[in-house]
Amino acid sequence: MPTRPLVIRYEDDLKLFPGLWQRAGVLLTLSITLAYPWLVSTRWLTVGNLGLVAIVGAASLMVLTGFAGQVSLGHAAFLALGAYTVAVLGAKLGWPFWLALPLAGGVSALVGVVIGAFALRLKGLYLAIVTLGLVFLTQHVLLAYPEVTNGLSGTAVPMYWWFRDDAGVAASLSETWVVGGVGFNFERKLYFVFALLAAGTVWLTKNLQRSDSGRAMMAVRDQDLAAEVLGVGTTQAKLQAFGVSSFLAGIAGAMFAFQQQYITVEPPFDLNLSIQYIAMIVLGGVGTVFGAVSGALAFTFLSPLAETVGGALPLVNQLTSAQQATVLLSLVVVLVLVLEPLGLFGVWLRVRRYFQAWPFRY
Amino acid sequence: MALLELDNVGLSFSGLRALDGVTFAIEAGALHAVIGPNGAGKSSLFNCISGIHRHMEGLVTLEGQALAGLEPPEIARRGVARMFQNLALFEHLTVLENLLLGRHPKYRTGLLRNLFWTRGARAEEVRHREKAEEVIDFLNLEHYRWMPVSVLPYGIRKRVELGRALCMEPKLLLLDEPTAGLNQEETEDMANHLLDIRHELGVTQVLIGHELRFVMDLATQVTVLDRGRVIANGPPSSLREDTRVLSAYVGGTVAA
Repeated sequence: MPTRPLVIRYEDDLKLFPGLWQRAGVLLTLSITLAYPWLVSTRWLTVGNLGLVAIVGAASLMVLTGFAGQVSLGHAAFLALGAYTVAVLGAKLGWPFWLALPLAGGVSALVGVVIGAFALRLKGLYLAIVTLGLVFLTQHVLLAYPEVTNGLSGTAVPMYWWFRDDAGVAASLSETWVVGGVGFNFERKLYFVFALLAAGTVWLTKNLQRSDSGRAMMAVRDQDLAAEVLGVGTTQAKLQAFGVSSFLAGIAGAMFAFQQQYITVEPPFDLNLSIQYIAMIVLGGVGTVFGAVSGALAFTFLSPLAETVGGALPLVNQLTSAQQATVLLSLVVVLVLVLEPLGLFGVWLRVRRYFQAWPFRY
Repeated sequence: MALLELDNVGLSFSGLRALDGVTFAIEAGALHAVIGPNGAGKSSLFNCISGIHRHMEGLVTLEGQALAGLEPPEIARRGVARMFQNLALFEHLTVLENLLLGRHPKYRTGLLRNLFWTRGARAEEVRHREKAEEVIDFLNLEHYRWMPVSVLPYGIRKRVELGRALCMEPKLLLLDEPTAGLNQEETEDMANHLLDIRHELGVTQVLIGHELRFVMDLATQVTVLDRGRVIANGPPSSLREDTRVLSAYVGGTVAA
């Protein structure tokens, strides 16, 4: 059986799923994704939803940090902007979610491009500090206008599937629908919407990676001087990276808000959240879309596991459950950095090489 | 008419005079060598041409149009390609991706079309891939196409960098020590590639070299720099007897 189809045109090299194995992988992923909500308890369905949010969030950070090499601690700020945009549009104006979502991305992207313009001359640690400042700035602004955001007490995030009618009766997504005898409660509906959004995000970032725009970002990451001499405008590449990244981050924040149904400024939108996203892309493997997806899923699914394991460990069980998860996940990230700097992507490369060479060991 | 003209180019780094009153012209189709001892200002001269040192003085004109003051990407778009002395490849990208980046200014699709991978974006990728494949064929890089640059040996990386510059279809190719660090065989390969570029592609080349024999064999025209000044300019044969060149290079007269 041929494992790799014969490439006879250059178009063939651009395909995402060129061969039988890749298509089989897609089918497998698709069936797992479709079956998941019917196989697991509500608790794990919630974890799954958070995992899908994390995929979008991590993919967006991957564009900025993984592709363009701009280390950002400000991811939480973009997530917060997206979250509060849908909260305000939903609670105050009664907009449907599919209209509020792109707007959440838009607001976040606007701020992202403006910050990007300020950060053009900054690199590495200095950029990290400026973006860190953005987190506190955003928190401050959100708390400073309680008439819009409800301030410290937080705001509900209603999720409508159609405009609120004149009587004020809302077409909320939170009631259970029964389609053909199968019950779709809120969590399940959310799951399928999120799965579509995550798949779309992965598709977009993958397109970016295989196209000229993405390559320009990577050129800026690897050698900014050479990139300039080749005619790659570093300003343009960086601004594009900031724009795409913060747009998707805004979407991720909006998804998170819909999932939580009630949000406050802090937690969750603090430095800790930014660092969690950086941990995800490091865990998965910086610079690849695969890394963003696998890192996001691994991180989200390990958190509840870590809380379970943490209780059984001496010393660690003295901490609160959130602290246990932090300690154990930090340990995992450090171990990955020491043992497999390419992250889960590196593990995947080794597994693939093993099977490609099989039955030989090399 | 000369392709590139340098008129009274000067460059200072807080008190250090890197270039001073450099004036010469590069004819179209030439393989023009710039030589000189360490610190003579050869690389600085290249940086002035490609727009990296924008605080330079004097005039640089390409086909009669002034380049001074333009940003490096704009100068690249006008047809000046460059190979760096200490390799400036994109380490984490494959050879093919590096070459395609040489085509970047010629892409007509923007961010949005690329993001949604439209028919136009795909056609554009294929179009530039064809061009990159021509360069791969020209430089015998077929085996390395899919390899990340970071795993390649130095000699191959030099060739990839030459290829990336060729992908730009430049009018003027600036080569900063293309043979530095190469062994005998790789040096000869490089010399052949440079001659092929001149004869088959007709690209004008400016070459910085240290190895006199290599430069004297290849170049059609040689300019000698010393401490930022042009001390000699002419065909290679005219320089062998030039006492100023000899003293700059070997610090005194030599018995011929």
